[in-house]
Amino acid sequence: MSVIQVKIERDNCEMSFFEVAYSTDMTVLNIIEEIYRHHDPAIAYRFSCRTGLCATCMMMINGKPGLSCMARAKPGEEGYLTLAPLPKGHTIRDLVKEV
Amino acid sequence: MDIINTDVLIIGSGAAGLSASVYAARSGQKVLVIDKGAVGKSGSTVGAVQIASLGEWSLNGDSEETYLKDIEESGRGLSDPELAKILAGEISERINELIAWGLKLDVDEKKEVAVFSTAGHSISRSVSARKGKTGLGILQTLLKKARSLKDNLKTWSDVITLELLTSSERVTGALVFDLTENKLSIIHAKTVILATGGMGQLYPVTSNPVQATGDGFSLGLGAGAALKDMEQVQFYPVSLKAPQSVAGFCISFYHYSRLYNKDGHRFMADYEPWTLENTTRDKLSLAMASEVGQGRGTENGAVFMDVTHTTSRVKSDFPHEYEMCMDRGVDLTTDRAEVGPAAHFIMGGVQIDGNGASSVPGLYVTGETAGGLHGGNRLGNNALSECLVFGARAGQAAANESAERENRFSTSLNGYVSEWLQKLTGDSPVRGKNGVSPYDIKRKIQSVMDEGAGVVRSDKGLHQAREKLEKVDVLLKEAKAPSLKPYSREVIDFIESRHMVRTAKAIVEAAMHRTESRGAHYNEDYPGLETKPYHTSVTYLDDRFVCQRQPFKGDR
Ligand SMILES: Cc1cc2nc3c(=O)[nH]c(=O)nc-3n(C[C@H](O)[C@H](O)[C@H](O)COP(=O)(O)OP(=O)(O)OC[C@H]3O[C@@H](n4cnc5c(N)ncnc54)[C@H](O)[C@@H]3O)c2cc1C
Ligand code: FES
Repeated sequence: MSVIQVKIERDNCEMSFFEVAYSTDMTVLNIIEEIYRHHDPAIAYRFSCRTGLCATCMMMINGKPGLSCMARAKPGEEGYLTLAPLPKGHTIRDLVKEV
Repeated sequence: MDIINTDVLIIGSGAAGLSASVYAARSGQKVLVIDKGAVGKSGSTVGAVQIASLGEWSLNGDSEETYLKDIEESGRGLSDPELAKILAGEISERINELIAWGLKLDVDEKKEVAVFSTAGHSISRSVSARKGKTGLGILQTLLKKARSLKDNLKTWSDVITLELLTSSERVTGALVFDLTENKLSIIHAKTVILATGGMGQLYPVTSNPVQATGDGFSLGLGAGAALKDMEQVQFYPVSLKAPQSVAGFCISFYHYSRLYNKDGHRFMADYEPWTLENTTRDKLSLAMASEVGQGRGTENGAVFMDVTHTTSRVKSDFPHEYEMCMDRGVDLTTDRAEVGPAAHFIMGGVQIDGNGASSVPGLYVTGETAGGLHGGNRLGNNALSECLVFGARAGQAAANESAERENRFSTSLNGYVSEWLQKLTGDSPVRGKNGVSPYDIKRKIQSVMDEGAGVVRSDKGLHQAREKLEKVDVLLKEAKAPSLKPYSREVIDFIESRHMVRTAKAIVEAAMHRTESRGAHYNEDYPGLETKPYHTSVTYLDDRFVCQRQPFKGDR
């Protein structure tokens, strides 16, 4: 297993950096779960179905909106997988928007 | 702590909770629907593909009687005839109402409503909407209707229920935790409807969404309600085992498929020579688990599914599933997929009457959290029908009862304040100390249930599961106080793991009391059926589980 560098835009535009164990079949959601389990138990993210239906796991992935349960994890610019909450609406914390 | 008042409180916003909300609000009562996730987007309903129905599209030969007979046959003697009769009698009216509110059923090439066959139904009677995203279509239709009733109907997302409140043996509301602000609130209500869905997350491989942690069964137990036939857990036979990112994803077209073990043998010929793969879920799951158990599975503990002889039909009837497989690297036109059973649905649940009323005054239960309709095996596509028919009934009945009651009771919190709750409010003396993480506790529960209370069970396995769950209880007491930042995943796991243990114990107790193999419950120490059928009934009193065998109505 290799690693992937992850950058998450969190509260007040503060950035967090993580180095996460990674295999190419992992989705972005798998990576966030890995962060929750091994790096930061307080991380806030939302998901439900894991199969691309509910759309609650939507976030900015390498600068574009996408479903984190469907998108494969891949490094983007500068070699980071960059995650951020969707730009519109109120952010509750980290990657979670108010619904 | 905030105190909120309403007439009818509905916990859960899947097809059952939202149906209930619309019917309750139409009768003029103030209704509040809460959900621990995003309202209308967080339950199993989202993933449902088709719904069994009767209507003007029904094929020649279909009728209430045939439908009823199919449900009773499939229920292995445990299906409640009163509930089954209501379902068959009212489904047509409910679907037509949804159509009137805007739901569009999918049509075939002739522009007629497309009617699909489903294993276990003696005649084709399943319909769909939004090209097989039927659950989503139903939720959107109900949400639209709910918005049109907004003077009476409010929804509240991201608030998780910790306990139901009771006063003089009546359910009077709920203690809830607002995940966005990390704040406790009390909701006082004249009646409460539990519609929290299922419990697939008690097992390591499940088709269910992450919210399906069995909270409703635990909440019902806490309020004194009886749970019926909780050992009846349905495993969806054909779900993907690999790759890991989609483990548990359900394949709806297994009745078109051929299943092979690792030696290339089409093993269903040994178990069900007449129907082969086109059989009910309990039989298929048991056959698949037995093949793997006897060493004829793949390295991933799976068997192979082959649809290369019928991919065009798969593509046209189940496009979302076909594409999902393709996207994750399983090309069904050329490859076999590795599949196995995944925890999918629970037939058991809170015991209800025809109006969804539980044995506790003031508490109604509907949807997957309620028990009894499906008995020992649920027929495919009957879950959504159940949600519509009994959601409507529970909503109506709860509203009627609320209308008759003048006052709400207020309940003091004294009986509920525990060390556990203190950890959640930040007053805990153990805050900051090390302890097991809530996530690890969840994982532990899943492995205990997988080993001891999965598809194939045994006395020894069940006893071990009971002992191990006692140990998990201790872990829970020693659990690390979770990070109290808003919406932290750890807080959610902390709360859910507590519900999971209570529900898991109820399943294990019920399974220990069924000393036969019936429906989805298979105990290898008792492979046959007992002559006189009975229900299992679990209650929870003074921190102890009490499980009894219950004779059938009319039996002694
Ligand atoms: C992948 C999949 C496919 C399926 N396909 C079909 C099909 O094709 N046809 C069919 O008939 N059935 C199908 N089923 C079964 C069916 O979807 C479910 O049984 C049914 O939708 C359950 O509806 P519900 O309203 O009871 O619960 P759900 O839809 O599960 O909703 C429960 C809600 O309660 C909320 N909740 C839970 N606990 C709490 C708490 N403590 N506090 C606050 N809120 C809470 C949850 O967040 C959730 O939103 C499928 C199930 C799955 C998982
Ligand atoms: S979790 Fe439902 S779409 Fe991603």
